[in-house]
Amino acid sequence: MRQLILGLVLAGFATGAAHGQSATPGGMPPPTGMSLAQSAAMRFPQPVRVGDLLHRLVLRPVEAQTILGRVHAVVRDTQGEILIVISYGGFMGFGGRPIAVPADAMALLGEDLEVVAFTPRQLTAFPSFTGHGTTVIPDDTTIKMGLAKPSH
Amino acid sequence: MTPSPFRPKDAPGPEVLETHRPLIRSLERRGLLRHGLSLGALVMLTGCDVKQPEAVESALLAVSRFNDRVQAWLFDPNRLAPTYPASRILRPPKFNAYYDITQVKPVDGQSWRLEVSGLVSDRHPWTLAQLQALPQYSMVIKHICVEGWSYIGGWSGVPLKTFLERVGADTRAKYVAFKTADDYPSSIDMATALHPQTMLALDYGGDPLADPFGFPLRLRMATKLGYKNPKWVTAIEVTNTYSGGYWESRGFSWFAGI
Repeated sequence: MRQLILGLVLAGFATGAAHGQSATPGGMPPPTGMSLAQSAAMRFPQPVRVGDLLHRLVLRPVEAQTILGRVHAVVRDTQGEILIVISYGGFMGFGGRPIAVPADAMALLGEDLEVVAFTPRQLTAFPSFTGHGTTVIPDDTTIKMGLAKPSH
Repeated sequence: MTPSPFRPKDAPGPEVLETHRPLIRSLERRGLLRHGLSLGALVMLTGCDVKQPEAVESALLAVSRFNDRVQAWLFDPNRLAPTYPASRILRPPKFNAYYDITQVKPVDGQSWRLEVSGLVSDRHPWTLAQLQALPQYSMVIKHICVEGWSYIGGWSGVPLKTFLERVGADTRAKYVAFKTADDYPSSIDMATALHPQTMLALDYGGDPLADPFGFPLRLRMATKLGYKNPKWVTAIEVTNTYSGGYWESRGFSWFAGI
């Protein structure tokens, strides 16, 4: 009870110090002229299990952390590039379409992912993913993805 | 219409806008609501003069220091924070710092040493291998950030209490302070330093810490907010002198208990 009462008192004394901790924005786009692979390598790629990526939210790296979609699958194309298939767009989880975004254009943000190398306008121009010419990567495969810091 | 009897006789003049123009430019709707409520509460509670920025800052810091003292009084050194099953460990953990991920500067574990100073009897620097040879402890705890997000992480390393006992620390001292390779100083109270869920973490999820998460050594506590857990620790000092910390010097709470 003592802790509850004091907690309530302190809540009233809140001094508003909970500004965003980050002094710089998080998911910065790669510099002009740098390849996606080069920029991903600068983000300290970390091992992550493919099965752990499925269904994760995909965010836009802005303070509002706009939800772009969810991870639907992880595939590899004929050149060996890893693509993250996102159910993109739609409204309230309905009406989206699958698009395949290079893993090197994305970054891990804790339990979520961010698209750091493409704007929503660019993503809208991505063709719908059909699966043609790609192979689904099994859930227990470990891939590497770069990191991002929170954008707020 | 009769003016409200609560209307102040000494209303702020237009020069207030000029004084605070940089701040006004940075206002956002959410920030306006958040800070407006805080400032209104502060004025009512302290009677400070909002026309003087120094007075506002001084009052805010006084309230923050009061909060720190109350949190320290409430802190139970024997009460454990919640723990979680290993299946819930997020791999890899979430990265955060006051700079971008691309600016992380990895530390060489071979040449790295942990300096020890202050109120201790043994000041010899420690190598990573020596720390790994000490009794280890594991815990799966929630990392809670002041920004509002959290994740569950699995950490292993040396309980800070064990380390302090090994170096002959005077545990009657008030503070344990930390220096880091990324210039992120921090300090904690001795009661938290001796808490069983406070550790010098060497591993995450069964593997050595990765570079972005503080290799070779970082502080992990289950009882404080995330920003109180410095990464890439290079020096520990046991002291009675308050040294604050990176975010604390920018207005954040020092105790930062959960």
